[in-house]
Amino acid sequence: MSVKRLSATSLYKALLLVLISIFSFSGKLNAQDGEKLFKANCAACHTITDKKLVGPGLQGINDKREKEWLHKWIKNSQELIASGDADAIAVFEENGKVVMPPQPLSDAEIDAVLDYIANPPADQAPKQEASEEGTTAAQPQGEDNSFLILGIIIVVLIILVGLLRSTQVSLAKVVKEKTGDEEIVINETWGDSIRGLVSKNKGWVALFIAIMVILGAKDVWDALLSIGVHEGYKPEQPIKFSHKIHAGLDKIDCNYCHSSARHSKTSGIPSLNVCMNCHKFIDGTDGKTFEYNGKTYPMPEEIEKIYKHLDYNKETGKYGDNPTPVKWVKVHNLPDHAYFNHSQHVVAGKQKCQKCHGPVEEMDVVYQHAPLTMGWCINCHRETAVADKGNGYYEEFHARLTDELKEKYLKDGKLTVDEIGGLECAKCHY
Amino acid sequence: MKTQKKYWKGLEELHNDPEFVENAGKEFAEYVPVDEFVGDKKTLEDSSTSRRDFLKFLGFSVTAASLAACETPVTKAIPYVIKPEEIVPGMANYYASTYYDGNDYASVLVKTREGRPIKIEGNKLSKISQGGVNARINASVLSLYDGNRLKNPLKGGNKSSFEEVDKEIKSKLSDIASKGGKVRLLTHSIISPSTKQLIEEFGNAFGAAEGNFKHVQYDAVSYSAMLTANRKSFGKQVIPSYYFDKAKVIVSLSADFLANWISPIQYAADYAKTRKPENKWMSKHYQVESNMSLTGSNADVRIPVKPSEYGAFLVELANEVAAKTGGQKLPAAKSAYEKSVKKIAHDLVEAKGHSIVLSGINDENIQLLVNKINSDLGNYNHTIDLNKPVYLKQSITAEVEALVYELEKGHVDAVFIQGVNPLYSLPKKLADKFKAGLAKAKLSVSFATYNDETAQACQYVTPDNHYLESWNDAMPVLGEYSLTQPTISPLFKTRQFQESLMTWAGISGTYHDYIQKYWENNLFSTQTESILFNDFWNKKLHDGVYSNNATEVRRTEAPQEEIEAELTEDYTADYSAAAKKAASVKGGNWEMELYTATAIGDGTLANNPWLQELPDPVTKITWDNYITMNPEDAKEQGYNIYYGQEKPATLASVSVNGITIEKIPVIALPGQKRGTVGLALGYGKRVGAMEEPTGVNAYPLLTDNFNNIQLSVEITNLNEEYPVAATQTHHTFMGRESIIKETDLATYKTGDKHHFNHQHTFTMGHEQVSLKEADLYKPFPIEEVGHRWGMVIDLNACIGCGACVTSCIAENNIPVVGKDEVRRSREMHWLRIDRYFSSIPEEAAKPQEERDNFIMDIPESENPSVVFQPIMCQHCNHAPCENVCPVAATSHSMEGLNMMAYNRCIGTRYCANNCPYKVRRFNWFNYQGNDKFTDINPSQDDLGRMVLNPDVVVRARGVIEKCSMCVQRIQEGKLTAKKEGRKVMDGEIQTACASVCPTNAITFGDVNDKETRVRKEAESDRSYHVLEEIGTQPNVWYQVKVRNVESNHSNNHHEA
Repeated sequence: MSVKRLSATSLYKALLLVLISIFSFSGKLNAQDGEKLFKANCAACHTITDKKLVGPGLQGINDKREKEWLHKWIKNSQELIASGDADAIAVFEENGKVVMPPQPLSDAEIDAVLDYIANPPADQAPKQEASEEGTTAAQPQGEDNSFLILGIIIVVLIILVGLLRSTQVSLAKVVKEKTGDEEIVINETWGDSIRGLVSKNKGWVALFIAIMVILGAKDVWDALLSIGVHEGYKPEQPIKFSHKIHAGLDKIDCNYCHSSARHSKTSGIPSLNVCMNCHKFIDGTDGKTFEYNGKTYPMPEEIEKIYKHLDYNKETGKYGDNPTPVKWVKVHNLPDHAYFNHSQHVVAGKQKCQKCHGPVEEMDVVYQHAPLTMGWCINCHRETAVADKGNGYYEEFHARLTDELKEKYLKDGKLTVDEIGGLECAKCHY
Repeated sequence: MKTQKKYWKGLEELHNDPEFVENAGKEFAEYVPVDEFVGDKKTLEDSSTSRRDFLKFLGFSVTAASLAACETPVTKAIPYVIKPEEIVPGMANYYASTYYDGNDYASVLVKTREGRPIKIEGNKLSKISQGGVNARINASVLSLYDGNRLKNPLKGGNKSSFEEVDKEIKSKLSDIASKGGKVRLLTHSIISPSTKQLIEEFGNAFGAAEGNFKHVQYDAVSYSAMLTANRKSFGKQVIPSYYFDKAKVIVSLSADFLANWISPIQYAADYAKTRKPENKWMSKHYQVESNMSLTGSNADVRIPVKPSEYGAFLVELANEVAAKTGGQKLPAAKSAYEKSVKKIAHDLVEAKGHSIVLSGINDENIQLLVNKINSDLGNYNHTIDLNKPVYLKQSITAEVEALVYELEKGHVDAVFIQGVNPLYSLPKKLADKFKAGLAKAKLSVSFATYNDETAQACQYVTPDNHYLESWNDAMPVLGEYSLTQPTISPLFKTRQFQESLMTWAGISGTYHDYIQKYWENNLFSTQTESILFNDFWNKKLHDGVYSNNATEVRRTEAPQEEIEAELTEDYTADYSAAAKKAASVKGGNWEMELYTATAIGDGTLANNPWLQELPDPVTKITWDNYITMNPEDAKEQGYNIYYGQEKPATLASVSVNGITIEKIPVIALPGQKRGTVGLALGYGKRVGAMEEPTGVNAYPLLTDNFNNIQLSVEITNLNEEYPVAATQTHHTFMGRESIIKETDLATYKTGDKHHFNHQHTFTMGHEQVSLKEADLYKPFPIEEVGHRWGMVIDLNACIGCGACVTSCIAENNIPVVGKDEVRRSREMHWLRIDRYFSSIPEEAAKPQEERDNFIMDIPESENPSVVFQPIMCQHCNHAPCENVCPVAATSHSMEGLNMMAYNRCIGTRYCANNCPYKVRRFNWFNYQGNDKFTDINPSQDDLGRMVLNPDVVVRARGVIEKCSMCVQRIQEGKLTAKKEGRKVMDGEIQTACASVCPTNAITFGDVNDKETRVRKEAESDRSYHVLEEIGTQPNVWYQVKVRNVESNHSNNHHEA
């Protein structure tokens, strides 16, 4: 019964959805669509403020120009200029004779865009960001507390032991005085009492020491193993660049900025000209703020840093002669004797960046997600199947396998990295 | 068939010297002074450091180290501000370019990483260098990062700026020009057509029309006699093209054409093509010489002859040939080599039109005789082509001498010196005059890259760029062009020589524009492939080379009537007079031939530590030049004939015409003609921060007409000892057989593998089984599974030049260890070239007339035959080293590689002890940081470290290292294939040694791929494994050396 009802409700819901979508597309376009259209078609050259990018800022454009004129201009500015329209020629001259390309928009769409420019909605992006903040995998921060509690417990215990001992000594004294029993030993000092305790409980003490030694040895061993392992390393960077905003919210592909990951052994930190592909336009002057590591910062300040490094003048749009590089702090440090190739893993191995780097799209400040130890590498090489389907190189490898090896390697249905020699020393060390 | 031939690496081994015998069994020959650093029992007891202290220190250091390691080191990652489009960090870029320094020429590919040139490879598109480079060109990339280069212009020896220097030079020049003063430009041979035109323009600006300007070309090692002889014979003052690939018989009179004669890379490549016994014919190579040269050691028949006898030998040969071909008869001369001459003449006439006779002696009479023999044989237009002149050497001695006298008389007002160092390389008398004359000039400018002798004597130095920072073009041979392009911005405040000339002559634009204009005006019209010049230019810049089929002689200084008389039978040259003069030469007690060493050449790169540490192919000595003397002579004169760590060489002084050079070590070299000595030019320069120069400068001993032969020399034993660093007897094979296999052509032609490439078998029970069946190892899947990287080395093609060794050094970050360490057998080279002398002791013991094929009265040590064998890790499938490593630092890969994990190695050196091939090297020091190596190791300063290959680890102290078969290149090649989803192509992956080999002696590839060249070579009849009988099953094959000798008895080559 319940199953049937469920399917019935979902059917209604689907119908409703279809209806809504039909309505929304067939009806008049509204400001929300205007925003979409603006971002898709206009934002590369114009802002909705009075700030000039390639073309002029469009704030108040509806008051300045006739609607009809705007329609003509947007559809084909060159035609309008050629027709001898004085306003059009003036605009063309004012903006350094940069031709505005004809926009393939319908009248309704243009109206929607103009509507959007006239009534820009309040920016909601930062709020969305904040609401997602809670789900971020934050670094463990409870260590300070636990130490405090441990300290308090230890102090209390020491006081307790002291109290108990003085009670015991005074009790013993009282008993000795009362009974006159010579055999009662009174431990005048701390040393005496400990020695007394030890001589009575030799077995327990030995056990206790043994346990302590074993635990201590384990701690030392763990500590030694963790030398050079910097899992969770989260250095502060010279620019508050948030991967969460760029890769998470804006959904920019990792390879867009880290383009060498597909070609080279290094993934490559993007040079500033890559940043400028977007940040020439997104300069943050409209007073935007952004969330970074739980705090809110003004956006222009950080973007200004890019301009400063590039010696770029925002007002004139010109680059100076004195650019300086950004000195980022390297997060993932492999020892020099280990050779790692990004393109091997990304292209040939078809691995996701997140496999080693963790949920970067959720990180404001990037931290080292994996231990990057040899054991960690090797484990993955043991488990991971080679992306051999449809790759001529591996087809040749399969063709050369003896029947015996074929059976051995392909027993589990996959050819692992280990089986093609991925655990051999000289694959990573040379 | 068994031969009684004995192979020996040095005289110690031949004579069973007791010290050699004692040390032969040790991997580490020298005594390790354990007592010195541990101390004996008493000192230990007396010392204040007790065991407890030791434990305390140990505990403290462990804690300190752990604490230090706990802190995360902050590493900065600094990306490009604006990334150049063509650079991807971590990926290498290759640019085609050209190397020419006045001595060596090659079209090359420059490998750059993140904008730094790190390696030179050959350009396979070049018809001249054919994808090969030599040791010097390989090492030239290190010189780019030499901190001793001039870093700014100098004025009077003090630091100056280009603005200041330019202003003063310009004003002085215009002053001189206005008064009609004489301006001279002294350069090495200029092969760049653009530069030639530029020099012409420069000359026009300074009175060339009035005869006030002259451009003089000067080559330290002169070929002037050859040029003038060709003018006299054929009316063409040119060096012809030699086609060794067409030569069936080659007779070389002391021309080291495989290492140091005109265009050795080209000749070696062509020569090797004729040395394959599988082909229809194999060339026969006679070498007549006094020194044991690299070329001589590769000859089929080598005849040791005194320099004073060269003339008579040639006259006799000319007459023998003329008698058979009907040529002009010359006044008879008698040499002591009648039988040899007859045999050579017979072979030459047999191969009429397909032979080459050549001589490296800078003596016009000798060169005229050579021309006559070649003409009589009809070699011109077949194997020797005068219509394709070679421009690599254009210096005419008379012109240089004229300049020196002009200078001396004070007739020259301004002199500019580029690319040469006359005060270092002129004969003593001329050098002194040059120095005095230089001081008289009103203006003297040097373009030197180092503050050398000549630069110090000049008023101004405007340092030239390194070639890797320069634009240039080149025409080494008529119609064959190549381009040089910069691969890095100038590191210092230097300026290209051409741009300096342009600045002073008021020619606007850059030299790059100038070359482009030259190519547009002169070369663009000679092709039809491209319609637009830009397209043409970009294509040629990409390829690095361009050839049109021009054959006419572009420039000749010969009189018109001589040009018309070219290539006719009526020579204008007087051969009879030449023959008389050549045959009448008399020698003194000692005769000396100055030569250019394989590693150092004319000395242009003598301050390069890679080259200094490259052992000479024949003597195996590093870091020095020396007098080579026959062992018998040396013994008679009381010189030490064995040399090693504890056995220094004896010093001697050499006097020629009143010029004496003191303190030169004497080296006993088998093969040196008795009564003669050799001494290498080009030494006597400082390397790195060393206080003392390495070796002595022998240029002052040249005769006035730049002849390298000294007929009367005095040699005095100074009875002083001097340590020399030879790799000669290091890492011996303990006299085991089956290391070298060689045979003669006739035996090879029988086709019976058993006769020349005996396969070992193993007796199991009553059966003879192949080595593969007698196997204790667990089967390991290598054959026919995945890849199996293998290498085949053709001993017939290997000429021992050492290009592979330097290429390996550059590719694998091999440290320079210096003379003292080499002396202790601690050189780090992963790839060495073993040189074996061979002789037949039993034959030598017989009286002369009973010896088989012995014609001349020469004891074995006087003329042994030589085999070169490159040895690197053999990557044994059953590797003895792997079993003994206590920490599994060395293990085997599925692809047949013997892997070495440096960080796992704890330095027990068990593996090195257990390696039958002695290819493992131990890092005794931290060469990158230890004070001992500061002077010589380039990677101790930031600049020198720029040459390191970032894909290969720099090894730490205390670990073993060895050849990895360039696993970084294998991995890179495999990755490219995987990314492109295809199998690895044959030839796509090349090891560093294989990629530069000028003779293609090394073939590398995947042996499991049935289609590869390496597979076919490995399966050839000539292929064998070194020490096959011990069952190591290496992945490196060698191919039996086949000598073109007619002896059917043994493999000895004394048949002539």
